[in-house]
Amino acid sequence: MDVSVTFTLNGKQVTVKAPAAKSLLRTLREDLGITSVKPGCEAGECGACTVLMDGKAVTSCLVMLSQVEEHQIVTDEGLVKDGKLDPLQEAFVEEGASQCGYCTPGFVMSAKELLLEKPNPSENEILEAIGGNICRCGAYPRIVSAIKKAGGEQH
Amino acid sequence: MEEELEQKYKSITRSVPRVDSEPKVSGALKFITDMKIENMLFAAVVRSVHAHARILSIDTREAEKISGVKAILTYKDIPGLNAYGAIVPDAPVLAYDRVRYYGEPVALIAADTEELAREAASLVKIEYDPLPVIRSIDESIASSAIALHDNGNIARHTIIKRGDTERAKQEAYLTLDRTYRTPFQKHMFLEPEGGVAYIDESGIINVFAGGQSPYRDKLQIARSLNIPPEKIRTVDYPTGGAFGGKDDVTVQIHLALLAYKTGKPVKLWFSREESGVAGYHRTGSEIHLITSVDKEGGLLSNEAQIYLDTGAYQSFGPTILDVSIETINGPYRIPNYTINANLVYTNNGFSSAFRGFGAPESNFAIESMINELAAELHLDPIDIRLKNILMTGEEGPFGNTVRHSDGLREALMRAKRSKIWAGALQNKKPWQRNGVGIAVAIKGVGFGTLPDYPTAAIEIATEGKVKIMFSNVDYGQGINTGNAQLVAEKLDIPLNQVEVRHADTKYSPDTGSSSASRSTFTSGNALLMACSKALDRLKMEACLYFGTTNEKLEYKEGRFYYKDKSASIYELAKGLKARGETLRFESTFEVPRYPAPIEGTLEVPHVVYMYGTMLSSALLDELTGKVHINQVEFYADIGTVINPSIASGQIEGGIVQGLGFAITEDLKYDASGKPINNNYTTYIVPSVRDVPDIYVEFIDSSEELGPYGAKGVGEISIIPAGASAAHAVYNASGKWVRDLPLLPWKLI
Repeated sequence: MDVSVTFTLNGKQVTVKAPAAKSLLRTLREDLGITSVKPGCEAGECGACTVLMDGKAVTSCLVMLSQVEEHQIVTDEGLVKDGKLDPLQEAFVEEGASQCGYCTPGFVMSAKELLLEKPNPSENEILEAIGGNICRCGAYPRIVSAIKKAGGEQH
Repeated sequence: MEEELEQKYKSITRSVPRVDSEPKVSGALKFITDMKIENMLFAAVVRSVHAHARILSIDTREAEKISGVKAILTYKDIPGLNAYGAIVPDAPVLAYDRVRYYGEPVALIAADTEELAREAASLVKIEYDPLPVIRSIDESIASSAIALHDNGNIARHTIIKRGDTERAKQEAYLTLDRTYRTPFQKHMFLEPEGGVAYIDESGIINVFAGGQSPYRDKLQIARSLNIPPEKIRTVDYPTGGAFGGKDDVTVQIHLALLAYKTGKPVKLWFSREESGVAGYHRTGSEIHLITSVDKEGGLLSNEAQIYLDTGAYQSFGPTILDVSIETINGPYRIPNYTINANLVYTNNGFSSAFRGFGAPESNFAIESMINELAAELHLDPIDIRLKNILMTGEEGPFGNTVRHSDGLREALMRAKRSKIWAGALQNKKPWQRNGVGIAVAIKGVGFGTLPDYPTAAIEIATEGKVKIMFSNVDYGQGINTGNAQLVAEKLDIPLNQVEVRHADTKYSPDTGSSSASRSTFTSGNALLMACSKALDRLKMEACLYFGTTNEKLEYKEGRFYYKDKSASIYELAKGLKARGETLRFESTFEVPRYPAPIEGTLEVPHVVYMYGTMLSSALLDELTGKVHINQVEFYADIGTVINPSIASGQIEGGIVQGLGFAITEDLKYDASGKPINNNYTTYIVPSVRDVPDIYVEFIDSSEELGPYGAKGVGEISIIPAGASAAHAVYNASGKWVRDLPLLPWKLI
C-alpha cells in the first residue's frame, strides 16, 4: 500500500507516494531521479548506495521509505554547491580516487559523515569509516589519501 | 628523470585527473544501468535450476496469463544463430535441449514492471531430466564421464615442445615435481551486468550495455538476430567495472532480442545474486610442473601439464589457454620444454576472460616453482631469477626476440635493495610471523599473432575542440584520459581542447576491445596516425591560406606559422568545412606481430611484453592461520608512463584484486553444481582493511612500437600476486601452499 512520506532531500522538502516498505535506494532512483545511489547488492554489503541520514552514513537499500519521514537525507549530488564540488569530492578528483566510479558516491558519503564529526581524522578512523564500502577496482589507497587530504584541508 | 620528461612533453607523463572524474565523484555521471526510457519494459531471465539436465518441455502458458507481460521468448524465437561465444560460439543464447550450468538462460520475459517480469518468470514451467553433474577437471577427463558436448569434454588440447626434456631431466642437478591449483575468481564488479535496448526511428536497434567490446558484441547480436550489423548500435560507456567479465556478451543479445520482438524499449539488469549465478568467472586451473635446474640454478627444462576449467562453455577459453601456455615458461631462458595444455568442460558455471587471462593461473605455478627451486638450492630467489631471465636481443622460449627486457633486470636489482626484502618486520606481535615473498610477471600486450587492425579517428571541430573517437571502453582504466593526453601531445594543444567521444559504434570506429592490456597501444597508435593525417591535410590548407605552396611551415601550439602570419588548426578547419570537406581523420594501425603462431598455439608469441616484479610482506597469525599482506612493492616496466597517477592506480588496483585471488576469493559450487557464494557477504573481496601499504615504481623504459614509447598496464600487477603472497607465507610459516587461496585452515 502506498504511503505519503515527506522528508528533506539535499536541502529541499520532497513528498513521495510509494509503498511504505520500498527502499530509500529505490525511492531515490525511481521516484526522485537521484542516481548517485547505486544498487551494488541491495543487501547492505557493498556501501555503493550510502547516503547521509541526519548526518549519519546509512546504506539506503536497508532504509525503508516509511522510516525517513521528517528526516534529512543528503546524497552525493547534494554536496555540490552552486556547481562547485565539495572539498572532499575535489580531493577525490585530485588523488585519482575514482576508477570506474560506480562505488565513488558511496565512499564520498561514508567519508563525509566522518569529516562532519572529525574534521581531522586519524588513518584508523578513516579505515573504520569506509570499512563497509567496497571498491572492486581497488582504488583504496587513493581513496584513503583523498580523505586524508580533505581532512587536512577542512581542519 | 621526471623533470626531464616534464620538459620533453607537455601533456603526457603528467598526472592529470581523469577526464571524467568530476562527474564520477559528484554523482552526476549516469551509468548505463541508470538509464530510464519512457514506457520501457523490464526483462527477466528464466534460468536453469540444474547444473546439468535435459530439457523435456518448456511451458509458458501460466506466465502468459499475467497481464502486463509483453513477451515470453524461448529458443524458438531466435531468428539467427542460437549460440554465442567470443572465440567459439558454443553457448546457447537460450537453452533448447539441454542445460550445462546452474543459471543458464532458458527463457526471456518482458513486462511492464520488474515485479511482473519476475512473477511471470517464476511461472514458466520447465521439465528437466537431470544428468550427472561434472564438478571437477578430474571428473571431466575420466573415461567414464558423460560427454558435455559433441566434441567431448576437452574443448582444446595441444602440445608444444622444444628440445629434449627427458635428456635434460637426466642431466639435471635437481628436478621438482609439483602440482599447483588456482580457484575460480569472480569479477564482482560493483555494477552488475545490465543495459537498455530500443529501436530508433530509423529502425536501428540501440543496445546500451556495460561491456568491453562494442564491435564484437554487435557482430554477435547480428548473428543471433539474423540482421545486418549496420542495423545495430552498441554503446558501452560508462561501465561500472568489468575486469574481463564483460568482454564477452552478457545481456546484449537478450536485450536486442526483446527490443526486436516487442518493438519497445527494454531494460535488463541482473541482481547481485543473478550476477553470481549467470555471470562469468576466471578459469580454475590445475597445473602440473616438472622443472629441472643445474647446480647453479640455471633452468634446464620445464614440463607442464596445464588444465583449465572453462565451465560449461568456451567463451575465450581457447585463447586464455594460449596465454597460460605463453606464461608457463615465465620470462626465462628454458632450452627444453613440453607443454601439454587442455581446456576442459565442466558444469562449474561459465569461465571467461578475467584480468590476466590465463596468466595469473600459470604465473602462480611457474613462479612458485622458481621459489621452491631457490629454497631447495639455498639460492637467493632474486639471484635465481637474475640468472635465468632473458636479455634484450635473446630469443625467447617461443621464438620471439626479446625487446626491452632490461626493465625486468633493473626491477630485480631494485627489489634486491628494497627495505622490505632486506629486513624482517619490526614490532610484530608474539603470535605473528613475518615473511617476504617475490614473483615476477610477463604479459604480452594485445592479441599476439592474431591480425589486429585497430582504427581510430579525430575530428577537428571548428569551435576549437578536437574530438577523439575509438571503441576501447573506459570502464575505469583511464584510457579516455590517456588517449586525450596522447592527442594533446601530438597536436601540441592544451588537454582541455581534446574531447573524448565515448565508446559508441555510431561514432567510434572499430578499435577492438578493451582487453589484453591493449587499449593504449592500439587506440593510442591509431590516434597518433590520425593526428598526423590531420596535420598533413591542415598544412596544405595552411599553404592555401598563406598563399603559398609546398612551403616548410612551422607548427607549434596548434598553429601553423609562415613569415609573419599564423593560423590555428581550427581556423584552417573552417576553410575545409566551408568547402564541404571532411574534418574527420581516421587511421588504422597494424599491430606488429609475428607472421604465424608457433605450432600448437593460436596466437603465441607476442612482440611487445610488459614486466612486473612484486615483493610482498606477509603477517601470519599463528593462532588463527590468517594471512595479511601488510606491504607490497611493485616495479613495473610498462614503457612510457602516459599518466603516472592513473597508471599507479591501475597497478595498485591489480595488486588489490590479485591479493583477493591469493588470500580470500574462492567461488565454490555445491554437489549439485550450484554456486554457493555469490554475494559480498560470502564471496570475500578485499576491503580497505585488507589493503597493504603499496609502493609502485616504474622502470625507465620506452617501447618504440608504442605511442610515445608506451606499452600497456592493466593486467601486469594482478599476475604475480598469487605466487608473491604464497612465497611470503612460506617464508613466514615454512609451508608451501600450492592451492590458492591462502585460507587459514591451510596454515594451522
